[in-house]
Amino acid sequence: MGKLRQIAIYGKGGIGKSTTTQNLTAGLATELGKEILVVGCDPKADSTRLLLGGLHQKTVLDTVRDNRQGITLENLVKTGFSGIRCVESGGPEPGVGCAGRGIITSIDMLENLGAYTDDLDYVFYDVLGDVVCGGFAMPIREGKAKEIYIVASGEMMALYAANNISRGVAKYASRGDVRLGGIICNSRNVDHELDLLRAFAKALGTRLIYFVPRNNVVQHAEIHRQTVIQYRPESGQAEEYRRLAREIDDNDMFVVPTPISQDELENLLLDYGMMELDDDYRI
Amino acid sequence: MKINLNSSAVPTRENRLGSVTGYVGDLHNLIEQSGCGSLRNSERCFSQSSTCLSGCAVGLLSSIRDVAVVWHAPAGCHSFTNVLGDQLAKNINATFDTKVVGTDLSEDDTVFGALESARSLVCKAYNQYRPKAIFVASSCVTGVIGEDIDSIVADLSAELGIPVVSVHCEGFKSRIWASGFDIADHAVLQTIVKPPKEKRRVVNFKNFFESERAQITELFARLDVTPQFLYSNSTVEELSHLSESLCTVCICGTLGTYLGNGLEELYGVPYVRTINPMGMAGFEAWLREIGKYVDREEEVEKIIAEDRAKYLPEIMKIKEEIQGHSAVIGMGPGYTYEVARVCQELGIDVVWAAAWHLDHQYDNGKIPPALEYLNETSPNNMGISVADQQNFEIVNILHEYKPDLYFSRHPGSTVWAIKQGITAVFVADEYMIFGYKGTLNFARTVRDSLRNRSFEKNLAARVKLPYTDWWYRQKNNAMFVN
Repeated sequence: MGKLRQIAIYGKGGIGKSTTTQNLTAGLATELGKEILVVGCDPKADSTRLLLGGLHQKTVLDTVRDNRQGITLENLVKTGFSGIRCVESGGPEPGVGCAGRGIITSIDMLENLGAYTDDLDYVFYDVLGDVVCGGFAMPIREGKAKEIYIVASGEMMALYAANNISRGVAKYASRGDVRLGGIICNSRNVDHELDLLRAFAKALGTRLIYFVPRNNVVQHAEIHRQTVIQYRPESGQAEEYRRLAREIDDNDMFVVPTPISQDELENLLLDYGMMELDDDYRI
Repeated sequence: MKINLNSSAVPTRENRLGSVTGYVGDLHNLIEQSGCGSLRNSERCFSQSSTCLSGCAVGLLSSIRDVAVVWHAPAGCHSFTNVLGDQLAKNINATFDTKVVGTDLSEDDTVFGALESARSLVCKAYNQYRPKAIFVASSCVTGVIGEDIDSIVADLSAELGIPVVSVHCEGFKSRIWASGFDIADHAVLQTIVKPPKEKRRVVNFKNFFESERAQITELFARLDVTPQFLYSNSTVEELSHLSESLCTVCICGTLGTYLGNGLEELYGVPYVRTINPMGMAGFEAWLREIGKYVDREEEVEKIIAEDRAKYLPEIMKIKEEIQGHSAVIGMGPGYTYEVARVCQELGIDVVWAAAWHLDHQYDNGKIPPALEYLNETSPNNMGISVADQQNFEIVNILHEYKPDLYFSRHPGSTVWAIKQGITAVFVADEYMIFGYKGTLNFARTVRDSLRNRSFEKNLAARVKLPYTDWWYRQKNNAMFVN
């Protein structure tokens, strides 16, 4: 095995981070034989559902709460599809407590327990939504994840979020070695989506590392609690994820992103036909 | 200002009054900037000290004799708990039943929330101690994670049949710890004070530790009124009648502005806004104003005449000995300008006055009377700074002016003057300069301190201060950002 690569996946809520992460890691494991740990950083604790064939029953924070004295890795790490190890940070119910602090507590706990073993090739952090507070930035602070990938689509809000996330990355890059590895497009079939994402990635100083096309087989696989690679390994979509896995594994372009201004972002959207200047609305 | 009792949170002094913690200039400049609205806070790039406003909020509330405070906070916050209540109650042969208990928030509580802990602790505190009211105080942790304390107090008030009040005292809200006084007052005004049923010959007297309770009770008896001291040694029942009093006074303008103005605005109880009863002019102005509200102006004049006859000759005699000496003052803003005035009454040349923060206006929108009075009467345009106990700035000022005297009300501040060889007088007690009698005692203390300076000389000769020559060459505001 080579050097451990620690990767965090960010992106707007609902963009498909968990789906992409799980299919990507399934590709890395089946195609390239990599040893992988996936850390779900979402209070809903559903980031590893497809790899485990159902929800993880015991999150790090549940365990911390129930039995502070005798916590072991065996309580927390479950092995799923193709030997991929899965951990869920967990967190409070919606509307109470502090999920951000939960992620900090959880990642500290995993480190203290020695979850990052020498035989691992990859650790993936699948992080909820935008970088809303310091807790959700935990994976990119303090030398944890070194590579960040942002999942986006051609939709406006996805690009807003991606730009904001790259602000967070740029901030932490200035005092550490975290870098942006690229943009992964999880296509929504928006007009000119490929060109828009390429231009957007270029503006951020990075590249569109892969364009994952939209395909209903992803939804079917999810209903069956499986990754596409497990559910339909022969499908075209499974091959797309395997290619994504190879791109990530071969990636050597890691940059300090150059977030763009609101105006620049809006101009980009205008250039690619997302916004119509002349509409039919009249008072 | 409009007091909004529908909101459980009080705007901070910075937001409500435009108060500042960083300023350097002089008296006339300060008054000018305050008057025209151009006064701006100066931020520091380095801060040596501060304290938490929750200490002021919970400290006041927990000095009431028959309540409980449930502090929804990590255990460390409780280091601010007031422990004097029991001793003060003994002074009036009363029992002190108040308890402060805490939810001891942990890492898990921070992640998952702990509102149920707070709820059950309120119930437990009620069952065990039977308080007449329960204050549920917040903390930085509960503020950040958004614990909805307001939602439980409403339920529990109805369930337990006593006032259960939220106290939003997150320490990070304000650099001005006196904001905590307002938070305590707000909680009391919101739920403890009841609308008046009848007028009573009572004067609300807000103070800290009531060391002159006996003297003031005697003084007020001559005006046929009873002082209602608060919050130390007060009870929930007594506080519920604050709206029925003839007027409200406070020993310290900083301490009293929210309650005094609040009672006036909400219930028409006049707030006495003269200069405070420190020194001679202050005592006379203050007592005359009270005389108007309690309708005993003739008796007030008699008291003043008696006090003048009794104390003035000796005060004047001591003044001859101490006048002409120079002084620097470093205190909370409720005392800085009052003590400066008294020093000037005694012929002391105040060269610099530092206040731990500055309210350039109180809750009535007017400049603090002591500051205005000083501006009108001071023979010199003294240097003024606002420094939230930034001792390195005080040390610098003392080094530059090398005054004969340094006055401070906060422990730890005076010792640094003494280590520089400067005579320091610790104006510890809030009543140290109260009235003519206090003025005489104060004058004697100053005289005695000046007569024997061997302690300061000997200590200064043997102490090496941590400050370098570089710092002494700087202006005291060198650490201001702008």
